Amino acid sequence: MDIIVAKDVRKKFKLKHGQQVKNNGIISNEIDALGGFDLNIKKGEFLVLVGPSGSGKSVFLDIVGGLSAPTSGVVYLDNKPVDAPSEKTGYVFQQYALFPWRTALSNIEFGLESRGVVKEERIKIARELLSLFGLSDFEDRYPYQLSGGMQQRVAIARALATKPEVLLMDEPFAALDAQTREILQNELIRIWEGTDTTVIFVTHSIDEAVFLADRVAVVTARPGKIKEIIEIDLPRPRNGDIRSSSEFAANRHKVWGALKAEVNKAQQEWKLAPGFTD
Amino acid sequence: MIKKIFKRLGLKDKLLGLIVPFLLLIIWQGAVTKHLFSELLVVPPLTLLNTLIELAKSGDLSSNILASLNRVLIGFLIGASGGFILGIAMGLSPIINRTLSPLVKALQQVPEFAWMPVIILLFGIDEFAKNIFIAIGAFYPMLFNTYLGVSGVPDKYHELAQVYQYKSHRYLAKVILPSALPSIITGIRLSLGLSWVFVVGAEFFGTEAGVGFMMISGRQLFQIDVVMAGLVVIGTIGFLLNYVLQLLEKKLSGGRVAFDGGIA
Repeated sequence: MDIIVAKDVRKKFKLKHGQQVKNNGIISNEIDALGGFDLNIKKGEFLVLVGPSGSGKSVFLDIVGGLSAPTSGVVYLDNKPVDAPSEKTGYVFQQYALFPWRTALSNIEFGLESRGVVKEERIKIARELLSLFGLSDFEDRYPYQLSGGMQQRVAIARALATKPEVLLMDEPFAALDAQTREILQNELIRIWEGTDTTVIFVTHSIDEAVFLADRVAVVTARPGKIKEIIEIDLPRPRNGDIRSSSEFAANRHKVWGALKAEVNKAQQEWKLAPGFTD
Repeated sequence: MIKKIFKRLGLKDKLLGLIVPFLLLIIWQGAVTKHLFSELLVVPPLTLLNTLIELAKSGDLSSNILASLNRVLIGFLIGASGGFILGIAMGLSPIINRTLSPLVKALQQVPEFAWMPVIILLFGIDEFAKNIFIAIGAFYPMLFNTYLGVSGVPDKYHELAQVYQYKSHRYLAKVILPSALPSIITGIRLSLGLSWVFVVGAEFFGTEAGVGFMMISGRQLFQIDVVMAGLVVIGTIGFLLNYVLQLLEKKLSGGRVAFDGGIA
């Protein structure tokens, strides 16, 4: 069963004054971020979106999350069109966006508070999640007293606290160093494999995509649409060792094969559009 | 051992700040003792200390300080709450901001003391007029700092509030205000500081109590020592107000950095 269905989703942005881009040789002050995005996501699957910079992956995530409306087309969540953030959705941002005035524990409670969960229950849920991420000793710490990896663990715990059916993750590990990143990938996959949450995960890293995903959706250069969907045929449960297997390399090769042309295309376009800055 | 205690309290840095005032006091005392200035016009520090002690003993000092603080408090509460509410409105709504900010910026250019004749015409010279005079001074720093704090709430916090369906008063109480808190406290500190500066000015006109009144009557009776005692009291209380609020600012900002006006 498909929990998310995206039908011909398009999104245009007006550029700031003085900025312009070239679309097929025509200079315009509008930018097509998404150009007819069709995607069906199965309940409980881990879907990773990869694509060149500016291909609208994060824009798509915002639309699924109800934070941004499509210019045309529609996204269905459980057969209902998304027009506002849903209680079924959780969101993890690249910049952890923890509140500096709240402790780790209290940050995790944030999503539960607006849903009317009582204090004792909130603390119980938050403590369970902290222990799942090995952060039990840090519940009273403020974000500035935690490392980047710990902060992102807390942010993921906050998103998991409301038991979302769909978890949206926008390059959550992009700001972390390589080792921490691998450790967090391992933790995420271990925790996710014990749930039935559907995850849509955006990344630039092919390794990350292959390690985490059931399916990798390769997005084209701007305007973004799905170019190809690659089934990752690696067994679960997965652990870090799988990264050095030949199956892993084969999957990696498949994804890169689909992505390479798009990355080149995107880079060409950026060279041709000097007025546009990201 | 003593070194350790000094380090604990951060006294070493603070003592540095005392060296220059202390030297000035010595030079000042020396200059008067050596008759470089008339003792009638420049009161030496030791005499000043004596005057302060006498003023304190007679109860004049505390009653005047209390009268001034009372005025400051009322004026500050009126002005700062106005600035706070308007700052939130302008910070949250770009339309309100664009509508009001030219007017606010123009009015802010009016020097505080230029309001005096207007206030006297409208409200006379009684207590309420003084409160309004102080309130005008207290209004702007509170408005600007609240506005900065509220309009500076990071986009991601807004998105997070949306994701978890935080709306209206809950949104304000759980996301906007805590995020803007360091800035708001800076606003309170600067606003209260200015209130204290302006109370003395307000008391130069038609009062019977207050530190400003004490100085004016001292001048009229040619008690230069009382005038200078007033200066010392104003400086000391202003310093203490600022110091206490700065401590509060540090405590409440929880590792976040707040604007300190360039002078720590």
